[in-house]
Amino acid sequence: MERRILILGLDGAGKTTILYRLQVGEVVTTIPIWDLGGQTSIRPYWRCYFSNTDAIIYVVDSMDRDRIGISKSELIAMLEEDELKNAVLVIFANKQDLDGAMSVTEVANALGLTEIKRHKHQIFKTSALKGTGLDDAMKCIY
Amino acid sequence: MYTLLSGLWRYIRQKDEYNVLILGLDNAGKTTYLEQTKMKFTSNYQGMSLNKITTTVGLNIGQIDIGHVRLNFWDLGGQEELQSLWDKYYAESHAVIYVIDSSDTDRFDESKEAFDKMVTNKTLETVPLLTLANKQDLEGSMRVENVQKIFISNAQHLGEREHKMNGVSALKGDGVDEGILWLVEAIKRNSLCRPPIQKDIRGT
Repeated sequence: MERRILILGLDGAGKTTILYRLQVGEVVTTIPIWDLGGQTSIRPYWRCYFSNTDAIIYVVDSMDRDRIGISKSELIAMLEEDELKNAVLVIFANKQDLDGAMSVTEVANALGLTEIKRHKHQIFKTSALKGTGLDDAMKCIY
Repeated sequence: MYTLLSGLWRYIRQKDEYNVLILGLDNAGKTTYLEQTKMKFTSNYQGMSLNKITTTVGLNIGQIDIGHVRLNFWDLGGQEELQSLWDKYYAESHAVIYVIDSSDTDRFDESKEAFDKMVTNKTLETVPLLTLANKQDLEGSMRVENVQKIFISNAQHLGEREHKMNGVSALKGDGVDEGILWLVEAIKRNSLCRPPIQKDIRGT
């Protein structure tokens, strides 16, 4: 079964590294995954890709305390889109290999996940660089 | 005439909506219980296969309608680091279901600690509580009476709230209906303290 998965998140969160990591494993090579850039100028175009999305991987840089607020508002705005109503939301609290990274609880709080009460979501600690946490996270998508 | 009819129609379709929180340690069977509940109370529900359920590290949601009542379930991750997020949901919850793995006696202390922390939270003071001794289908599981003795030490322990303890097998579905039906009545009885989120749901 083909599944459509979007990878979203601010620039520098580690989306491309994750995509690269996932393709090394054989499991996902044939599945279309859209890695959309996260820079401000292209964020409005995210929504062009929303229809028929089965899952959203939302990547957060767990070191970037300054911009987690922006990450939160983008996420909340995105989830208001009707077309994403049934998509599974999977948060990657990325860069967990770095000292001083926010814990999964801190990321959940900062993103306001507890305010998202109408949408199924999961949150995982990942390090795209080291490749840790990705397998567990992908299991809940397939 | 039209106004009357459309008003009546609205009344019929209108539901009293309540939120139900499902808590307990990881691997207690919360998500399996939620899926089983959805299967039992939703006609033609095509659920996920129960043995494919993995650890929840976030939030699963579910919704069932029983008569004029609609229940929104929030099934939260039970791992230790995620327990600190539980209380963010308390103010908006109309009932709590606490799930215990009756076969995992090694973790009873840990589960009891989380349970006590939850029941002593002021925000949940009057909120009905359904405690489930799950996995009664497994050989060697502790029986409901004994689980109850361990978790609920005395009558004062739970304060003013309505409480019921049930033995269930979320996997097989045994005991699931009974608990939910009790919970609906308890929620209604408590609706002066916690009124429903009344919504017009013509669109659905």
